[in-house]
Amino acid sequence: MNLLKFIGVNIVETLLRVLPFPCKTGLIKMGNPDRNSPVFLTCNYHLTVERVKRVLKGIDAYLLIANSRGINVWCAGTGGIFTNHNVISVLKVSGIEELVDHRNIMLPQLAATGIEVDVVKKKTGWKVIWGPVYAKDIPAFIRNKLKKTPKMREVEFPLRQRIEMALAWAFPISIILALIMIPLWHEAISAVIFLVWGLSFLIFVSFPLYSQWLSSEDKRIGFVFFDFGRGGFQLILWGVLILGLIVYSLVADDFSRGFLFRWSFITLIAVLLLSIDLMGSTPVYKSGLHEDRLLRVILDEKKCRGAGFCEQVCPRNCYEVDRNRHIAIMPRAGRCVQCGACIVQCAFDALYFQSPKGEVIHPETIRRFKLNLIGKRLVKLDKL
Amino acid sequence: MMKILETTPDRYDKGIGILTLGRLGKAYDRLTSHIRKGQKILDLGCGTGALTIRAAQKAAKVKGIDINSQMLEIAQNRAAEANLAQNVELCEMGVAELGGEESESYDIVMSGLCFSELTEDELLYTLREAKRILKPEGLLLIADEVRPKSISKMIFNWLIRIPLVTITYLITQTTTKAVKNLPEKVEKAGLAIQSIKLSKIEDFIELVGRRPKQEAK
Repeated sequence: MNLLKFIGVNIVETLLRVLPFPCKTGLIKMGNPDRNSPVFLTCNYHLTVERVKRVLKGIDAYLLIANSRGINVWCAGTGGIFTNHNVISVLKVSGIEELVDHRNIMLPQLAATGIEVDVVKKKTGWKVIWGPVYAKDIPAFIRNKLKKTPKMREVEFPLRQRIEMALAWAFPISIILALIMIPLWHEAISAVIFLVWGLSFLIFVSFPLYSQWLSSEDKRIGFVFFDFGRGGFQLILWGVLILGLIVYSLVADDFSRGFLFRWSFITLIAVLLLSIDLMGSTPVYKSGLHEDRLLRVILDEKKCRGAGFCEQVCPRNCYEVDRNRHIAIMPRAGRCVQCGACIVQCAFDALYFQSPKGEVIHPETIRRFKLNLIGKRLVKLDKL
Repeated sequence: MMKILETTPDRYDKGIGILTLGRLGKAYDRLTSHIRKGQKILDLGCGTGALTIRAAQKAAKVKGIDINSQMLEIAQNRAAEANLAQNVELCEMGVAELGGEESESYDIVMSGLCFSELTEDELLYTLREAKRILKPEGLLLIADEVRPKSISKMIFNWLIRIPLVTITYLITQTTTKAVKNLPEKVEKAGLAIQSIKLSKIEDFIELVGRRPKQEAK
């Protein structure tokens, strides 16, 4: 029964993944926790909470649900919605302080973009331990004495997640298109729905085949649709579809200009809608729609002491610490997705963002206003 | 609806004026009419300082707290422009940190459109703390969105709100939660209700609570 409910929740909320799903905040007891049991914290996105609960089954622990307005940890943390205040609030208000003797709390690593360890410690006395990126690694993380392997620190985009994203895009877009088509061309609704679902799966399942040509670097938002993926991934996909359409028309000997025109238009709309935020739908690229994709993380070697905060929180494993020279290095800087976690977490302020024009965005600014500068994400950087 | 405004604090004041059809300003004026010169006041979730500045104009000493750093910056600028900076102290802190405030140290604790942003746990905690930090006979002033009690009004309210809520939800993917049973919760926290003013469709409340002189035994 529980399993059925879990599967149901996963299906429904995956289809509606683009929308937030808030659930109750506060304290949940897992198993029979005592005064020394570990305390985990996550956001109040319902699907996340359900998955974390499932993973924690069999572990005696406390789970705190902090308010992120129903948005997932990474998006809410980076967008200034899941902050120190939400963590402090649930620590103070949930009653957890009366239940345990220790003051260690495990947070999902992806929250490192928004939550400052020092502030939480200063205001509550609780010490934040960055857990793994994915809840599924929590048991191994505990067995490993709270040490993360590089794999536990890294976001990935495996087939399962790609299918989830395909569903998450196909469902709302096929509904919207179907509604629009009721008065316009209702005979073709089922064909369009089929087209959207097929395209969505094509785009996301085949992602590894073309992802090497996607890049968000050194690009300005011009005509937003064609600005990412050198040469325009969408144009290529659309071209292929049109070609198929022409071939079909020729083979079926059913060539009519009106038919071709209508389907070309609909496929264009479908391709554009499905891939409008293709890169932002993956955890391995920065959204093509966000100005901050142009930023670069710069390491100030004079300030760096090689403590490795950056290495611990980077979800792309960009960093390594040179233990001899006591300094961080970025051997895989090209993989950076500008999440800002390393900048926020560096206790020595040794990292900062630099815009393409050379302006510096200091750690203090990112900590205070978060990466989207509290709603100002689309403000051009030179206006900062 | 407040969320879209809050994530873009620059437009907050203008937008909120339109949204509430000016009733918010009047509600704030009525609430702050309880303030006397020289009183010590705490403004919970002060935002851009609408209540804070009204209170400071009455020569009260106001501490405003909010978790949105950018809103606080705007509030600070507005206080400076009105030459009230000496009466106003602004802190980036949430209601969960009220534990750091001294007991029985405020004449008035007030809050405009803050309770509807809180989680249930936070709301109850805040009311308990408000009672603790208020002096005996001190006042709690609240203006906020509430959920109507009568079903017909609730449905009517929903019909009005659905378009707004939908648009907000689509754009900002967030929504506000009108407070349920606020007067009951205030009383449960040990404060007496002095007056309540509800809007016509019962979706907006102006509440004055008071800390009793003597603790009920």
